[in-house]
Amino acid sequence: MTELLQAVILGLLIGGVYALMASGLTLVFGVMNIINVAQGAFLIFVAMVTWWLWKHTGIDPILASVITTPMMFGLGWVLYRTVIVRIRGSSPSMSVLLTFGLALTIEGILNITAGNKFKSATPSYFEESFRVGDISLPKSQVYGFLAAMLVLAVLYVVLTRTWMGRAIRASSQNPSGAALVGVGATSTAALAFALGASTSGVGGSILSVLYPFFPASHYDWISRLLGIIVLGGMGSLPGALVGALVLGLAETLTATYGSLRWATLVFYVVILAVLLFRPQGLFGTRLREDVAV
Amino acid sequence: MLQLTGVVAGYGGGAVLQGVDLLCEDGTITCVVGPNGAGKSTVLRVVSGLLTPSEGTVMMGHIKLSGQSAAAILRAGVTQVPQSQALFPHMSVRENVLMGGFLIRRDKKLLMSRLEQVQQLVPLVADRGAQHGGNLSGGQRRMVEIARCLMLDPKVLLLDEPSLGLDPRSLTAVAELIHRLHDDGVTVLLVEQNVRLGLGLATHGVVMEGGKVRLTGSAIEVMNHPEIASLYLGGTNATTARAAQAAAEPTPNPAEATG
Ligand SMILES: Nc1ncnc2c1ncn2[C@@H]1O[C@H](COP(=O)(O)OP(=O)(O)OP(=O)(O)O)[C@@H](O)[C@H]1O
Ligand SMILES: [Mg+2]
Repeated sequence: MTELLQAVILGLLIGGVYALMASGLTLVFGVMNIINVAQGAFLIFVAMVTWWLWKHTGIDPILASVITTPMMFGLGWVLYRTVIVRIRGSSPSMSVLLTFGLALTIEGILNITAGNKFKSATPSYFEESFRVGDISLPKSQVYGFLAAMLVLAVLYVVLTRTWMGRAIRASSQNPSGAALVGVGATSTAALAFALGASTSGVGGSILSVLYPFFPASHYDWISRLLGIIVLGGMGSLPGALVGALVLGLAETLTATYGSLRWATLVFYVVILAVLLFRPQGLFGTRLREDVAV
Repeated sequence: MLQLTGVVAGYGGGAVLQGVDLLCEDGTITCVVGPNGAGKSTVLRVVSGLLTPSEGTVMMGHIKLSGQSAAAILRAGVTQVPQSQALFPHMSVRENVLMGGFLIRRDKKLLMSRLEQVQQLVPLVADRGAQHGGNLSGGQRRMVEIARCLMLDPKVLLLDEPSLGLDPRSLTAVAELIHRLHDDGVTVLLVEQNVRLGLGLATHGVVMEGGKVRLTGSAIEVMNHPEIASLYLGGTNATTARAAQAAAEPTPNPAEATG
């Protein structure tokens, strides 16, 4: 019983972090039909930057997201304006090709500059845990979860309470309607892409503490994130949250009662099952129908 | 004054508009009628900047609209209610209408006073403020779409089939709204399949067919023009003309609908 409870709580904690990482991916897809396969590479890039900052300045890795988030926002904006904008209006598969190229480029740069070895940021609390009764919760997981929730809450407020967020939601719900009220398609897309990239700023910093990583780890991460947004319904933010919690739970439970080796497989099984039985994902239907009317 | 001169425009294939000339004096209501596919909606899209003409110009007074971005044209005071689905389905009615003031978002006071005015003109906005745009009936959506267009206090209002899906009472409400805007000096360019209603509301009429303007004149002239029936039905032979005349039979005096 304790084991189950512990697994469930850990699953939810990690699910919260996944939710943050997937939110950027689903946001970008929802607004401009771009599947940003480079989101995983963004995460690893940020993890690397965080690791370097932590190593050289001693700054707490999770707190380093105060630096990495604006950095990724800026980088995302520039990338959109210079590279991504060229495939505006093309099919999503085109975006997969382009961003895959981007991911390979980032991986290559990291290989050259940081070397092809595993790294992990290990702050002082790295091996400590909070104990609640019989349950022990690794501090890094708890901090990571709290940071992720905080950022998701900020993202929610930005999307619902600011004009930038309204413009982004308007573009995703009805592009021609947005154009009619004067929302610029390109500038909004650039902001949305930047916002999506900035979620990997916090996500990557958290990742650097929770998981060992090396340049090619991004394949692993993008598969997880794609599994989450396919399950939740591509483009749906609530879907990404639910999908992330479900898959975080499934992964932890599999690792606890099955084996660690099977745990990552959960994501691929889910992608396959969702595509077979409910291609629109959990939250996909309403969005599609409404927009198509 | 809104003036189109020799406008040629299309969607990548052939030209849909093949040299359209059109003049709307300030403060007039011009109604464009014509068969499906005549290019009526395309004319409105060219004016609002959603579509850039390949040839010809669109002028508003001395301002050249053609070639400018949709946002710049909005800023110049031209707003459009498109033929279909313009709302944001997952935003509340209030937020949808507020989005109409996107360009004046930095002036919060102005934005709120406009919202107040619009709520008075279209009570639905206040009554259903919290409801999602996607959960409204077709006719209610139409009213909100029109309301949204008023947030910028337009000089020129483009309405693409405003009567689409409206019940008689909402029709009256829209007609009244158009009259009020007319009284305020707004120039209205509208497309209407309901010829009786459209020309009844309008001061001027335009008949389009096959991407060209076939007939212009005062609304009454156009309505009573012997050729309108055949033009409107897209045929030219005597049979269609007669059939059309029969169909147009109940057309009353336009003053009745306007009154
Ligand atoms: N988005 C588009 N892409 C390609 N062609 C289009 C598009 N919209 C309209 N057309 C074409 O342009 C022509 C004119 O269309 P338009 O919508 O202006 O007609 P309309 O007069 O408004 O007709 P209706 O009365 O049916 O609304 C049609 O032949 C149509 O096929
Ligand atoms: Mg039309």
